[in-house]
Amino acid sequence: MRHILQIAKLLVQADRRAMGRGALLSIAVLLMGVSLLGLSGWFITATGLAGLAGIGIAFDVFRPSAGVRFLALGRAAARYGERLLTHDATLRALAAFRVDLLRSYARSDARALANLRSEGALTRIIADVDALDGVILRLVLPIVAALVTHILVFGVLSWLVGWSVALIILGLYLVAGGAILLRLGHATVAPSRRLEEVEQRLRRGAIDMIRDRDALILSASLPRKEAGLHRLDQEARAKAADLDRAERGAGFWMSLLVAAAAMAAFLAGAVLLDQGSIDAASAVIGLFVALALAEALLQLRRGVSDLGRVQSAAERLAPQLQSVRPPAGGQTSDVASCQTLGTGPLLSIHHPNLRADFHAGEAVALSGPSGVGKTMLLMEIAGLQPGTSVKVHGRPPVAYAEDSLRAMVSMLPQRCALVAGTVRDNLSLSGSFSDAELWQALDQVALAEDLRQRDGLDTTLGEGGAGLSGGQSKRLAIARNILIKSDILLLDEPTEGLDAATAEAVLHGVRAAVPEALIIAVMHSGAQHPVFTRRVGLSR
Amino acid sequence: MSHDTEGAARNDRQRAKDRIITPVKRPLTVAGWLSVLAGALWPIQAAAIAWAVSEWVDGASAVQVALTAASVFLACALLRALLEHRSGALLFAAANATIRRERAHLIDREARTRTSAGSAQIAALLVQKLPLMQPWITRYHVAMMRVSTLPFLYLLLAFSQSWAVGVTLLVAGPLIPVFMALVGMAAEEASKKQMQDIASMNDMVMDRLSAMLDIRLLGATDRAAQDFATRADSLRARTMEVLKVAFLSSTVLELFAALGVAMVAVFVGFTLLGEIGFGAWGDGLTLGEGLFLLLIAPEFFQPLRDLSAAWHDRAAGYAVVADLDALDAAERVAMLGQAAPSEPLSGPLALCTEGAVVALSGKDVRIPDFTLSEGQSLALVGPSGVGKSTALAAIAGLAPLRAGTILVNGQPLTEETADAWRAGLSVVPQKPHFADETLAEWLDPKAIGTDPSAALAMAGASDIVRRLPEGLHSRLGETGGGVSGGEARRLLLARALLSGASLLLADEPTADLDEATADTIITALLAFRAAGGTLLIATHDPRLIAAMDTHVEVMA
Repeated sequence: MRHILQIAKLLVQADRRAMGRGALLSIAVLLMGVSLLGLSGWFITATGLAGLAGIGIAFDVFRPSAGVRFLALGRAAARYGERLLTHDATLRALAAFRVDLLRSYARSDARALANLRSEGALTRIIADVDALDGVILRLVLPIVAALVTHILVFGVLSWLVGWSVALIILGLYLVAGGAILLRLGHATVAPSRRLEEVEQRLRRGAIDMIRDRDALILSASLPRKEAGLHRLDQEARAKAADLDRAERGAGFWMSLLVAAAAMAAFLAGAVLLDQGSIDAASAVIGLFVALALAEALLQLRRGVSDLGRVQSAAERLAPQLQSVRPPAGGQTSDVASCQTLGTGPLLSIHHPNLRADFHAGEAVALSGPSGVGKTMLLMEIAGLQPGTSVKVHGRPPVAYAEDSLRAMVSMLPQRCALVAGTVRDNLSLSGSFSDAELWQALDQVALAEDLRQRDGLDTTLGEGGAGLSGGQSKRLAIARNILIKSDILLLDEPTEGLDAATAEAVLHGVRAAVPEALIIAVMHSGAQHPVFTRRVGLSR
Repeated sequence: MSHDTEGAARNDRQRAKDRIITPVKRPLTVAGWLSVLAGALWPIQAAAIAWAVSEWVDGASAVQVALTAASVFLACALLRALLEHRSGALLFAAANATIRRERAHLIDREARTRTSAGSAQIAALLVQKLPLMQPWITRYHVAMMRVSTLPFLYLLLAFSQSWAVGVTLLVAGPLIPVFMALVGMAAEEASKKQMQDIASMNDMVMDRLSAMLDIRLLGATDRAAQDFATRADSLRARTMEVLKVAFLSSTVLELFAALGVAMVAVFVGFTLLGEIGFGAWGDGLTLGEGLFLLLIAPEFFQPLRDLSAAWHDRAAGYAVVADLDALDAAERVAMLGQAAPSEPLSGPLALCTEGAVVALSGKDVRIPDFTLSEGQSLALVGPSGVGKSTALAAIAGLAPLRAGTILVNGQPLTEETADAWRAGLSVVPQKPHFADETLAEWLDPKAIGTDPSAALAMAGASDIVRRLPEGLHSRLGETGGGVSGGEARRLLLARALLSGASLLLADEPTADLDEATADTIITALLAFRAAGGTLLIATHDPRLIAAMDTHVEVMA
């Protein structure tokens, strides 16, 4: 529950005023609905009484009938406003929430960041975000509106009809209604959490089965895998049935509660009528109000039955959003983070298998058998992997503030990723540049010609940069890196997937683009290229 | 919209109904009638209250009258709740059976006959989208039945008391189909738009998250977050433009409902005062009749409001069926056999191809004729993209032939022989896929239980396992996190060797590897052959070709 509250707070804070206005209108809608039915019931009974008494002429019909019309129109208008405001506020909150999420994930270390590429991790996060989207519209606003409305109605009814009628309605709805909802929440938390888990496993299992199809057929284990998925579905169905039973049970008790509350209010009105403290017209108000108030209660059902799913999502995401702990990258500025440079060579490496200093303007080819830790070494220089073997200007990279480190070191990861949008959008991740600068960078990675044949800088790429070939994507990613003009440029297999002529052009282009920088490139082949001034190997 | 597309849309809807609704038509109809019956109980409850209040005015003991009315009211309420509960159970069972059926169908089909659809796309359909049919099945049909019965009942009752109230509701009535169409379309549009927008906001999050390593390394976290915020905000603004219109039309329905109630209340009030002398039968309305009319007026509109709420459930359901239909229509690559465990094929190992052509969508791949006997090694050579991998797949019975035959141990490779043939061979693919299982489980998918250390040593992969934090119990995850491309290849080879197969098919086992790793792989392959194994390798690596006994060329 604590985590749900944290998330709710975060969502509300995105735009407090809009949320507040939305909540006020939600309350107004409920109140107007209650007033409309209460006033109409009173009005008809009162006119009936007046008609029978023959004092029809003296009865003030205009104010109540105007009230009825006003409430009818007002309720529709308030409903419209409520919908617009709450949706607008929710959309703002969802956007802000996602931005927070992006920022919080950006602080992870190399391993966690690389894991974000996996389908499973991503769909997990998105499913959680989706589950939390309903927190405001289905839980927070309806609960607040229901509580406030009930309390206001209690006050007005006590004054108009009598406290006994008001108390019966408030007590039944708040206590019995609350109990039904609590029981529903209690009964659904476990199955809805489990259902979510099983569905994630089913999703993962289906992906594994389809991707691994050949291996499963070859090992004659496809029938077993299929049977496993059928079992998961069976469990999912069983949990869904549990949820449905609990929800329907709650629905059953709620409709009985509404009938009971209406009748209890009716009887309490009758008692007051027999005592002579009110007239028949006032005695029916309680009944009508109780019937109309049911709306406030019924709209809570769905939100409450989703609680388990929301709770497990909040448990995963709330700590993620909270993590202020500076991870390997050292995002926050605590004592250890320095804005200023230390003293010492630009880069010195004291790896068990490699001890060397490196200076500006050098171009180093780093090679070694696969699995020896070349990528990890680069990640450590980039400050995304904790370690003790690297110093930049005499200090470990993680000791620098994130911004200063990024200005000093930029890196092309081995499996580089582009974002959806235009070529310009992708390059602009490196900062703001003029078109001429962008074209120059594209020229230096031998990509300008390819793009000129398309829409130039406005060429649109799909998700993950879809629309470019593997080699083109790689070159675009390299272009992003050379635009930064950092002191140290780390390239993890920059020529992998490029044909020999293009690789040649790219290596020369990169050197020309950042003549002052220290370039360290992991090369599987091509380490002998003349552009490199130094070759070092990492051995086991 | 042109006439044709409209007709096509109607056709799609009909197909969707035939596929999903028709099989559960009976329980849906029963559930619908139960719900209609529950709705028909309301006038009795309303009459009980109206009677009690009119008795009050006549001077009876208020509490006694109210007790009688309350018992009728509560009895009806209990009956109503029971009817709705039962109806809900039927509806859930219908939806549940439908989802189970469609899911089972997909699970049994999608791996056996593969399409070009991505695994994530199919998984999303299976897990997320299929349950979206539930609200359609459980809500829409019942709402439709209620709407086509209950308002008429209430109208009849209203007319029996006062023709003016009847007319009031009737005026609102004919407007309602018009508004329903209007609201329905707008609601459909709005919900679609909202789903799309949330989906595209989520796509954007996914896209940025999967590029987060690059973004961080570029120092672009702030820029990316800001850019995302700007895009999300313009998305919000556009969504709100659509919602403004969409909500307006559903507000009109609410407005009519509220105004209908208000007009009935005001009319009844004025009639009771004697200020209106028309609209009722005989000598005007009594208080009881008036209250009765007031109580049934909101219920006249309720089924319409329920239907408009259920409208987008139907649209969501149709969208799911459209996805299912598209997947049904996709071109599929079948496999041979059942993929069930089997004894290896009898007889000495022999593989012989005769004019075999593999049927793959849009492209035929001709497998060159060759013969491979036990203990031999052979390389299938040719430039990348010519179809070497496809040829290997067909030889393993993973893709059907269009012409010619593949003879395995002297028998044609068919549905009947494929499982037994596969029991004696093993394949080393180019890229690994690590499911959510331990390395030990991954290495031994048939769960034979052989100690993997010998196979790991042969493939030069012992040190990889040693380096992993939990050794053989490590879970590598779907991207093979922590294992480089060359290491993955060695693990794949170890897996193939561990299976104990006598024939090994390898697809470009040395591609994209550094020289040292490639040497390890070639050495391991030759050791397998020296131990009596048979090798069939697709490659364009000259060193590997030279290491094989013979080679044949795959031609485009």
